Amino acid sequence: MDFTYTDEEHRFRLELREWLATALPEGWGETVFEPEDEEERYLFRRDWDKKLSSGRWAGINWPVEYGGRGATLVERGIFAEEMARAKAPESLNIIGHNLAGTTILHHGSQAQKDRFLPPIIANEEFWCQGFSEPNAGSDLASVRTKAVRKGDKYVVNGQKIWTSYAQYSQWCFALVRTDPDAPKHKGLSFLLIDMSSPGISIRPLRQISGESEFNETFFEDVEVPVENLVGQENDGWRIAMTTLAYERGPEDCLGRQVRFKQELEKLLEVCAVEPTANGVLADDPVVRQKLGRSIVEVEAMRLVALKSFSRILAGDERGPDASVIKLYWSHAAQRMNEAALDILGPAAVLSEGDDDAMAGGRFQTSFLQSKAFSIYSGSSEIQRNIIGERMLGLPR
Amino acid sequence: MNFLFNEEQTSLGETVGQVLADHAALTGPDPSRDSDGEVWAALAELGLFSLLVAEEHGGVGLGFVDLAPTVEALGAGLAPPLIASTLVATEAVNRLGDVEQRAQLLPDIAAGETAIAIASAELGRGNDPVFAECGLHDGRLTGRKIAVAGADVAQMLLVVTRTQSAPALALVPTDAPGVTVEPHADIDPSAGLCRVTFDNVAVASAQLLGEGSPGALDTLIDLGATAQSGMAMGIAEVMLKRSVAYACEREQFGKPIGSFQAIKHRCADLAVAVEAGKATSHYAFWACSEDAEDRASAASAAKAYCGEIACNACNDAIQIHGGMGFTWELGLHRFLRRAQVIEHAVGSRAWHYERVVAETLAAREVA
Repeated sequence: MDFTYTDEEHRFRLELREWLATALPEGWGETVFEPEDEEERYLFRRDWDKKLSSGRWAGINWPVEYGGRGATLVERGIFAEEMARAKAPESLNIIGHNLAGTTILHHGSQAQKDRFLPPIIANEEFWCQGFSEPNAGSDLASVRTKAVRKGDKYVVNGQKIWTSYAQYSQWCFALVRTDPDAPKHKGLSFLLIDMSSPGISIRPLRQISGESEFNETFFEDVEVPVENLVGQENDGWRIAMTTLAYERGPEDCLGRQVRFKQELEKLLEVCAVEPTANGVLADDPVVRQKLGRSIVEVEAMRLVALKSFSRILAGDERGPDASVIKLYWSHAAQRMNEAALDILGPAAVLSEGDDDAMAGGRFQTSFLQSKAFSIYSGSSEIQRNIIGERMLGLPR
Repeated sequence: MNFLFNEEQTSLGETVGQVLADHAALTGPDPSRDSDGEVWAALAELGLFSLLVAEEHGGVGLGFVDLAPTVEALGAGLAPPLIASTLVATEAVNRLGDVEQRAQLLPDIAAGETAIAIASAELGRGNDPVFAECGLHDGRLTGRKIAVAGADVAQMLLVVTRTQSAPALALVPTDAPGVTVEPHADIDPSAGLCRVTFDNVAVASAQLLGEGSPGALDTLIDLGATAQSGMAMGIAEVMLKRSVAYACEREQFGKPIGSFQAIKHRCADLAVAVEAGKATSHYAFWACSEDAEDRASAASAAKAYCGEIACNACNDAIQIHGGMGFTWELGLHRFLRRAQVIEHAVGSRAWHYERVVAETLAAREVA
């Protein structure tokens, strides 16, 4: 067991830290913050992504030949820590880097790698994920959106739902049915779809937080060139499983942990100054118990991710570990968000824009947003089935 | 960066686990201390007590983290808590003892001839394992400790006490005049919990461990809390394994109950808790070994969180086993009982969560 860093890893950290110091706007995190308007915020994040690319800090784990740095898992961990330390904005193209890019790297043809990877790493093309449908949520394999081969094209018809960032994306990777007669897992294919194709329409869905990050996406006779099929026709389920392993993996957890830790830091900051009848919030033993548990759980998120990292470094396959991690962070983060509102007392109900709201109402927004954690990228119930059956060996 | 144990560390834990498994009574339904002597002898023969002792004193010179899987095995096997307390005290002597104390104590410890019970808890102090009413004045120790595991068979007591000016740690032989040891009536008769009364017991300056070192008590708390977290995770893991095994074999409605999501999901949640708890505990062992900056907060995090996880794991296991779980014969109660002993040793969950907050807020001020 060793938590120390090599000289090379240390240099990597310092290089990133120096770059961040110049890349972020002056006063960032102190007086300068992300725009409040949702649309402006996404555009701001898109610009930030482009800046990351210009410094070669996007897709750092990708092979050097595709513009990455071939960063090790440890360096990815350092990257997450430093981004947190600088309170850097979130990336808009996470889906492009972590899911589309990773899947293409694993299963794409050389032509697909050459076509799609450079614009992802340059953050010139943004991606969304076309997996879920109104009748294919937890039962993902029952997707109905169909793709019918006609000559050198597939013609796609159907509907996807919960498509995050579809409105900002140039491309979508989608799970579509290419063989309606095969058993449901065996008739699926993995297609890369140009979002500017005729026949695609998007309808924003409003989330419980009031934001509209996700959408319904409709496909009506959308033509997709056959060269945009990843892997073999009807082998899409296996490919989608790779995508999901990375969606739920330790890299994802570590990146999120960093955000949750920032949130927690903010909460501690509020507790340290917010007056109560006899001191400040942080003097209250009940508040301190809630804080204590949240501190421990946010740290445990980091540690479970590092455990999993170490197992992968030691040569273990990515397996149900990813479900353990996802199930853990999603509920631990929800508990932290619940605790934050508990702690804030009557001001907890005040929202962004109200003069009396604490920390600009951000804890309320986070609380509302956190309800998605245990639903997206495989609901907690599905994760529990995976853990129960594939890790613990319980019968189906 | 590597957060895994090496082969030596893992196999050490497995070996200790096998030795404990040879003594089935340890985890049997009837709490008993009949095999404690044999278990101690077997582990001493294996060299367990020499592992933390430096080579110059007849030991192997391993670090605290090297024993993490071993301490988990002690928890899983419901080993007498005196074994872990001796290991903790050994490490405390390594770190806090002066040259004479180390030369005098460590060879006997390494040979398995000195068992050390840790006396910290007192009545009337709430959850606080630090503040001692038990006082040391003019070389005389007077006061009363409760829930001292193994005091009736130990050769030595490591006592949390206080002088007029500061907290102190005193090494007191159990046969010193004025020391009275009485077994408690308690929830886990296999743990050997005792009441220890000190009546004007002579304590020389040479018996004080880490005298004048302001961090001495924190060192003991961190080592002790971390060891307890390891034993807690040993229990939690056994509860998971037994629950899963039972869920695969027990049938109702014509199917194994593990096929029902009510049971399957409970097992999955338990597995997740075990993973999170072990990561937290393992990190604490490392932080203790390395004297990391966040040692105190890592140790308290582990104690609070793993204690909670172990107690919940016992609850889950009993529930999953249904009526059988509530029977004496199945013996799950042994783990439920021991988990309570661990929960209340070296400060409760609330005390340790509080310490995590205090440490975190203090670190923020420094930054």
